[in-house]
Amino acid sequence: MAPILCTNCKTERALIKRPKNHKKLCRSCFLTVFEDEVHHTITSSGLFYPGEKVAIGASGGKDSTVLASVLKTLNERHNYGLDLVLLSIDEGIKGYRDDSLETVKRNAVQYDMPLKVVGYDELYGWTMDQVVETIGKKGNCTYCGVFRRQALDRGAKMLGIKHVVTGHNADDVAETILMNLLRGDLARLSRSTSIVTGDSRSEVKRSKPLKYSYEKEIVLYAHHKKLDYFSTECIYSPEAFRGSARSLIKNLEKVRPSAILDIVRSGEDMARLVPVENSSSCACKGTGRSATPVAGDDENIGGCGSQNGRSSGGEMAAMEQELKDNEAHKELEIDVANTMPATKAELKEKLLELPIRSGPRNSKAVSRQVLGTCERCGYMSSQAICQACMLLEGLNKNRPQIQI
Amino acid sequence: MSNKMEEGQLTPPPPQPSSVSVSKRCKKCSVQEATLDSRGAPVCRGCFVKFINTKCVKQVAILGKETSRLITPRDGGVRRYLVGLSMGGVSSTVLVQLLNENVEFQLAKGRNAPFELVFVYVDPHTSLTLQPSSELSSVVGGSIKVEERLRGFRERYPRSEFKRVPLAAALRLRTVDWSSLIPPAGANGGSGGTDEEKKLQQVFDNLPSATSRTDMIRLLTRHVLLNEAREEGCQALLLGSTTTALAELTLAETAKGRGFSLPWLINDGSFPITHHQDPIADTTADAPPTPPTPDGTTADNTTTDAPTTAPNGTTTNITTNSPTVTEDGKGVGGETSSTSMLVYHPLRDLLRKELVTYASLVSPPLTDLLLSDFSSLQSGGAVVSHKNLSIEEVMFRYFEEVEQNYPSVVANVARTTGKLLRLEEDAEKNGRCGVCSMPLDELGDERWRGEIGDPVGDEGGGGGGGGGKGRLCYGCERSIHG
Ligand SMILES: [Zn+2]
Ligand SMILES: [Zn+2]
Ligand SMILES: [Zn+2]
Ligand SMILES: [Zn+2]
Repeated sequence: MAPILCTNCKTERALIKRPKNHKKLCRSCFLTVFEDEVHHTITSSGLFYPGEKVAIGASGGKDSTVLASVLKTLNERHNYGLDLVLLSIDEGIKGYRDDSLETVKRNAVQYDMPLKVVGYDELYGWTMDQVVETIGKKGNCTYCGVFRRQALDRGAKMLGIKHVVTGHNADDVAETILMNLLRGDLARLSRSTSIVTGDSRSEVKRSKPLKYSYEKEIVLYAHHKKLDYFSTECIYSPEAFRGSARSLIKNLEKVRPSAILDIVRSGEDMARLVPVENSSSCACKGTGRSATPVAGDDENIGGCGSQNGRSSGGEMAAMEQELKDNEAHKELEIDVANTMPATKAELKEKLLELPIRSGPRNSKAVSRQVLGTCERCGYMSSQAICQACMLLEGLNKNRPQIQI
Repeated sequence: MSNKMEEGQLTPPPPQPSSVSVSKRCKKCSVQEATLDSRGAPVCRGCFVKFINTKCVKQVAILGKETSRLITPRDGGVRRYLVGLSMGGVSSTVLVQLLNENVEFQLAKGRNAPFELVFVYVDPHTSLTLQPSSELSSVVGGSIKVEERLRGFRERYPRSEFKRVPLAAALRLRTVDWSSLIPPAGANGGSGGTDEEKKLQQVFDNLPSATSRTDMIRLLTRHVLLNEAREEGCQALLLGSTTTALAELTLAETAKGRGFSLPWLINDGSFPITHHQDPIADTTADAPPTPPTPDGTTADNTTTDAPTTAPNGTTTNITTNSPTVTEDGKGVGGETSSTSMLVYHPLRDLLRKELVTYASLVSPPLTDLLLSDFSSLQSGGAVVSHKNLSIEEVMFRYFEEVEQNYPSVVANVARTTGKLLRLEEDAEKNGRCGVCSMPLDELGDERWRGEIGDPVGDEGGGGGGGGGKGRLCYGCERSIHG
């Protein structure tokens, strides 16, 4: 049987069936096409300027390793003139980051890029192990998640770098879009679709050059380029909505490979359709819709070492309950308005119970859109004081006095 | 649309909702014994049925208000609604029941009937031989005798009209730009019945996947229903989509790259209808097809052109001033005149599983009208091959599960999507897609190609490179050309 030839160069033997569109390519054409597409993305959205200092958020995993490799290649090939730095976060969980940090250190040598590892202790004054010591195992995931969200930005700021690129791929973006549809969160949906997050008010801009790259192609690229990455499965268990969206996407991809990209396109288009008035009664916000990139506060940020406090389905069940309560309340109102002589006591009970259950969540949903910066750290936040600073305040109160 | 996948299918026997302890009283009437669960509350049979009824009546009342301005003395002041019917789907069957009940209720009170009803089943089967495991054939099974079913409906609801219209009727519609679906060579045929069916089969044979075929059936069905509504002198088209179906639709359309069209699909309101040149007369009699316009030159410089020289051939006839069609006056100056039709979803506040329960509670039960030999989509049914699955099917399975455990989450999806805005400015600037009638987004398409790094002209995306001269939206481009 004659070997199938690459549809691109028509000389080499086709070895790869592209997950994105099932085109059959040879190894070198695949690598080139993959890089060309990222280059297109970078140039068409004007991600960088010559001489820009850019930190690559490096975890040692496939996405950030491929990102580093591709950026290095493109930077040299197309003379972007970028000053690239690897930036890694060490949560301070003994044993957890050791292997992946080793990988990043090797990458730094392989790509001839400076590496900066920033610890939670440097950023927050606390390592995760210390947090666990203080507050116990329960709920430490909250801390890790909140700290992690800001760690790259804070780390970059420490280094005097104003642009962080992350390895988020098309699958991640599609997942976030479906997740926010399921959650009914249009504001986040429109935010999650933009390639650049962080606006003029924030000191650090974030972007995702692999936004249109399929996860499967990233794996193939890493494999065929023989990249050195840390391939252990992440032990982080995604929250229920994300997990649900993830498995749905896998099924959709099987049915129609283009589905991932099509979801991304849908998300970008829908971002234009999100009504502005959705954002609370505050008259002062005056920002356009998706045109304003905002904090990517819901990005899929990988694992912290512990699964404590996460029961799968938890978030979905909580939302179900909340919605049900709201609905029950509404139904009751209608019934009362009509005929139903519901007992006063019963009605009262319902009314009293509602604000307690859903109050905090609702108020957050409204204020989410109005973005300012944290009074203490300057990080973008919808509250006067950002979540990380709030948590830190609590932690610092509990800090054993001996410490100096 | 009336066709199955946004409709729940009854799996026999209808599952009795989790029954509550014997001694409990109904939370609503406090009189009867509660035997059913309604959104967490124990209720009696009567109150459950009333609940379903009320939800539907509320929507119909809204529609009544909306249509009051469309009613002229000429109509005798009587509203007329066209309702999409699916064969065996629980949603549209329940809708038939609820709407008829409403009519009977008014008549019993000595009032006039509030509206006349025409139910239309758009039948893809006379014309299409679908893949064995595609969504539609698994639902309809090929062996279902449509006429027999329709007779069942007519007997039970003698006041309503029930019609069957073959999907191939779509070929006669100018609301579809057929030049983008039929290769020019195949465009000259007569218009005899079997020819039409052959031609439609050809259209479907050219589509790249099960998802594309299901997608196209859905789109063409809508075109046929909208046209029937116009021809039947109706003021609105009603669809039986439940809140579950709307959630499915939201995610399915998103997954097909049609996110931009959701405000028109999920919300109630007027749906745009665009008229295109007759493909057959046009390709033979007209000047040679205009070459695709290069990117960048858009509608701006074309507004004053005569129809025949308009770029991309999306010329539109100024048509139909039927009293039932509302002129929305938003056409591109001189070139387009689009009309519209109200589309409503009276069951939008109900879950599919609630309708399944309801169907077994009314007397006599609706069971006979529902399709029972419906096996392939049952939960737990093994997935034969992903290749032959459609995205709609994947969503159906997914939401079947979510609805079971998180019904309010499901309802919230449709509610949230309903908040998205309709961007009519795009239609004014760029015109509408020749197949789905949604506004085109040329800037978006261009930017997308740039960011993706798609070689231009690869698939004729947006520019009409693939032989067809019509312009297509992102979603239709994907469905038609893969
Ligand atoms: Zn090659
Ligand atoms: Zn802060
Ligand atoms: Zn009752
Ligand atoms: Zn379209």
